[in-house]
Amino acid sequence: MRIFENTNYDFLGKRKKFYMVSLTIIVVGFIILFTTKSIPLGIDFSGGTEIQLKFDKDVNISELREAMDNAGFLGMEIKTMGSDKDILLRTPLQEEGQLVSDKIQQGIKAKFPDEKFEVLRLDKVGPKIGAELRRNALFAVLFSLIAILIYLAFRFQFVFAVAAVIALFHDVLITIASIAIINAIFPNLRLEFNQSMLAAFLTLVGFSSNDTVIVFDRIRENIKLFKNENILDVMNKSVNSTLSRTIITSGTVFLTVFVLFLFGGEVNRSFAVTFGIGIITGTYSSVFVASAIVVDWKERATALLKDKTISRTKLTSQKVKKVNA
Amino acid sequence: MKKNLSRIITTIVLIILSLYFLYPTYKDYTLNKELSGLSGQDSVEFVDRNNKELISARDKRLKLGLDLKGGMYVVLDVDVVKLLEDMAGKKDEQLSGILAEVKEISKNSDELILETFKIKLREKGLNLKNYYGEIRDSEADIESKLTKEIDNSLDRAVEIVRNRVDQYGVAEPQIQKIGNSRIIVELPGVSNPEEVRKLLEGTALLEFKLVYDPQKAVKVFEAINKVLVGDTTMSLDSVSAINIPTDSLKTKNESLTSKDSTKNSAASKKDSLTKKNLSSTNTKDSLKEKKLADNKDSKKDTSRNKKDSAKNTDTSITATDTSTESDTSKAQLSEEEFKAKYPFFTLVQLNQESGTADGYVKDSDKDKIMRILNRDDVKAIIPTDLTFAWSNKTFDAEGEKIHILYTVKKDAEMTGKVVTNARSNIDPTNNTPVVSMEMDSEGSSDWARITGANINKRIAIVLDNVVYSAPVVRSKITGGNSQIEGMANVQEAKLLEIVLKAGALPAPVQIIEERSIGPSLGEDSIRAGISSSVAALILVALFMIFYYKFGGSVADLALVINMLVILGVMASLKATLTLPGIAGLILSIGMSVDTNVLIFERIREELGAGKPLRTAVDLGYKKAFSAIIDSHLTSIITGIILYQFGSGPIQGFALTLIFGLLANLFTAIVITHFIFDIMIEKGKNLSFG
Repeated sequence: MRIFENTNYDFLGKRKKFYMVSLTIIVVGFIILFTTKSIPLGIDFSGGTEIQLKFDKDVNISELREAMDNAGFLGMEIKTMGSDKDILLRTPLQEEGQLVSDKIQQGIKAKFPDEKFEVLRLDKVGPKIGAELRRNALFAVLFSLIAILIYLAFRFQFVFAVAAVIALFHDVLITIASIAIINAIFPNLRLEFNQSMLAAFLTLVGFSSNDTVIVFDRIRENIKLFKNENILDVMNKSVNSTLSRTIITSGTVFLTVFVLFLFGGEVNRSFAVTFGIGIITGTYSSVFVASAIVVDWKERATALLKDKTISRTKLTSQKVKKVNA
Repeated sequence: MKKNLSRIITTIVLIILSLYFLYPTYKDYTLNKELSGLSGQDSVEFVDRNNKELISARDKRLKLGLDLKGGMYVVLDVDVVKLLEDMAGKKDEQLSGILAEVKEISKNSDELILETFKIKLREKGLNLKNYYGEIRDSEADIESKLTKEIDNSLDRAVEIVRNRVDQYGVAEPQIQKIGNSRIIVELPGVSNPEEVRKLLEGTALLEFKLVYDPQKAVKVFEAINKVLVGDTTMSLDSVSAINIPTDSLKTKNESLTSKDSTKNSAASKKDSLTKKNLSSTNTKDSLKEKKLADNKDSKKDTSRNKKDSAKNTDTSITATDTSTESDTSKAQLSEEEFKAKYPFFTLVQLNQESGTADGYVKDSDKDKIMRILNRDDVKAIIPTDLTFAWSNKTFDAEGEKIHILYTVKKDAEMTGKVVTNARSNIDPTNNTPVVSMEMDSEGSSDWARITGANINKRIAIVLDNVVYSAPVVRSKITGGNSQIEGMANVQEAKLLEIVLKAGALPAPVQIIEERSIGPSLGEDSIRAGISSSVAALILVALFMIFYYKFGGSVADLALVINMLVILGVMASLKATLTLPGIAGLILSIGMSVDTNVLIFERIREELGAGKPLRTAVDLGYKKAFSAIIDSHLTSIITGIILYQFGSGPIQGFALTLIFGLLANLFTAIVITHFIFDIMIEKGKNLSFG
């Protein structure tokens, strides 16, 4: 069986349209993000206390909220995880030692003296740690992008390296925008930026750069093979011949992530959604961002070259005229 | 074919190595499964029976992070503000006001706390000198002293935390020093965060306790033994066989004054040394007045005595052996009989010649001893003024770690609060490490009284109920300046210094990050994560076979080998598998599939162009190679950088990714290729779908 054999789509001819598509998603997503703050920072990065409880029986959320208000936590974030037995409580409050989590538990015990509950998870992150984690993550990603740039510049032409890194930025931005949009549409999903989403971002950057490199590899090969052809045609040819591989690889990895999304449980969900979006945009960007930028660059370069040769011939003809005069 | 042979051998070696490193993980799993099926007495017996296996499997298994297994993760920060307050020579309201301000600022600033403190002092027209140091010290001196003190406090805090965590009895705790003020503590399987919090944040207690009179202590041991045997009519003869010969005690006491007798006993001990090849790093420490250290004669004496006692412990830790030598009635007891008759002394072995009642306990027997000592019938016969305490250090003998069980007086003679300073250095006269200790005036007079009343007895230095040293008092120490010698090495001396300073100046710590994951949540997430990953993997594998036929099945084999190698490497490096680590694993599996797809697509292209199978396969690998190398190297470089600059979770991701990609490169380029080569050579017609 074969899929996409000997295709001949003109992917790169319509690249301007796809630039607009990407730009629209990013702009819309970021407008939503900034107006509604729809990607909350997890306490890993914001600092605060988070407690996940498992009750024996279903809990009335409004009563629980009352209990929290009485305990002095006005407007505490309360969320159910799957069922009304699994409750997540979160507050950005920082206090000395363990007061916050102890107070929360005392508050619940005071309100529901008969209900038994088990603390499944308790996270307390100081504000300094959150800031440090943020900074470390940012530096790690920035440095790795620089490393990718340098390596690809060595192995390919510089323009390829720049295009690949722009594509990576594009993927990160598109994914953030998409999550913002998803969160706005499905508020119940409430994907937040925590450590596992960070892991997903790292994974998608890895996946996307892999995909881009493989398309570029074919372009590199074909540029040597078809020296006299138009650069647009050569690149289209390359994208088409890697299409089958791209679809199969992205398809299988997407399948894996989809299974993880369905059955992986709450903990793995934000990872699955983020990386799932990343697979789509990572595959898309290899063609419509990375390769497209290379085409634009090369075409401009040829155009500039033409301009130069034209102006040079003009100059020489002028000189000739002068001599004649 | 020769080329293929070396590839086959490499592959097989790699697989066997991976299996070898993963075997303890499997063993650990089966043992624990068996254990969880048992309850009560059965499980205790099972643990006793399989203790060594359990410990070694646990030590070598693939480690799971707390996010997968449940447990507690705590980041402690040395409370520098509190430390500055404690160190201040005079404490007034102005100082506490300034410190409160500094504390508030430090919550959101990266500036060194000492710097902030200095700035705040200057704003008030003060400087460090107003509160710290002595009159002749310059401001810079005081500052460097304070900086050093702050740095040292981290070591102290680490030691205190380690000591307590060890006593708390968590399996595989991890204590890590990060930067210059942080400690990360990881406690797998801990389900009572409140208890741990108290344990970690509480103030350390340093005490000086008298070591229990050895003869009486041995009597107590005998009584415990009787309880264990359940025999109250044990004959006095056999009991005395275990009793420490009073003669050897006497020799010991005289060794300070009479040089000759020391020589003699040293010579006689050399004999027994050759008989038994037990080695021990444990030496007996001695405590003496610092003034005396200048006196050369006494120095020679003590150093010789020390050497002697060092050999002394070298000679024997097995009560069985020594007693057969010293007592003929005992000689007839076989090992089995001895075990039956003296169960306690089989577990706790005494060194009769040392003249002490220090019990030597094998690491695998430690839990058993703890249980025995906690039995009600055993507790009932232990004198009320006696308590047991373990040593902090262990030494190796017979291929196992040996702990020392001390018997000390329950009530401390004095606490470590009176210690004002402690310093470890090298004694220039004989190049051995010594620790000097200073006390305040009130402490000094108590100390003089205590040491004076207990000459030639031992005083244990106990931190949070763990004995760090139990030196013999050589003389009455009046000036408050004491010197402890007999440490095996500089590290040991340094540790003792840290411990003594913990009495002088506690190292206050505060929890700045805490994560506790209930074991059930960890289990749920790992079960969900693993079962869905496996399901996805099977789907992908089936697709590969469906789409690439024979090629696909080889790719699947490569995938399995890949996973095996990644996990094997993780286990052999004692790396920890975390949730982000699994993300890295998924990415590398994705790339492994991708690599094979790349190669097969190229082979198909070549076959489509009408090339024969053999050429198509070779060309396929050749042409796909540059893409594979570039994509893998890009990701590996990224991985290395993430590992270098990232923090915990990012590092976990990077680690599995790097291993995964390396394994992938190997399986893709070497293993699958030679499988195809061999098949083609055999004339098989391979199908790539």
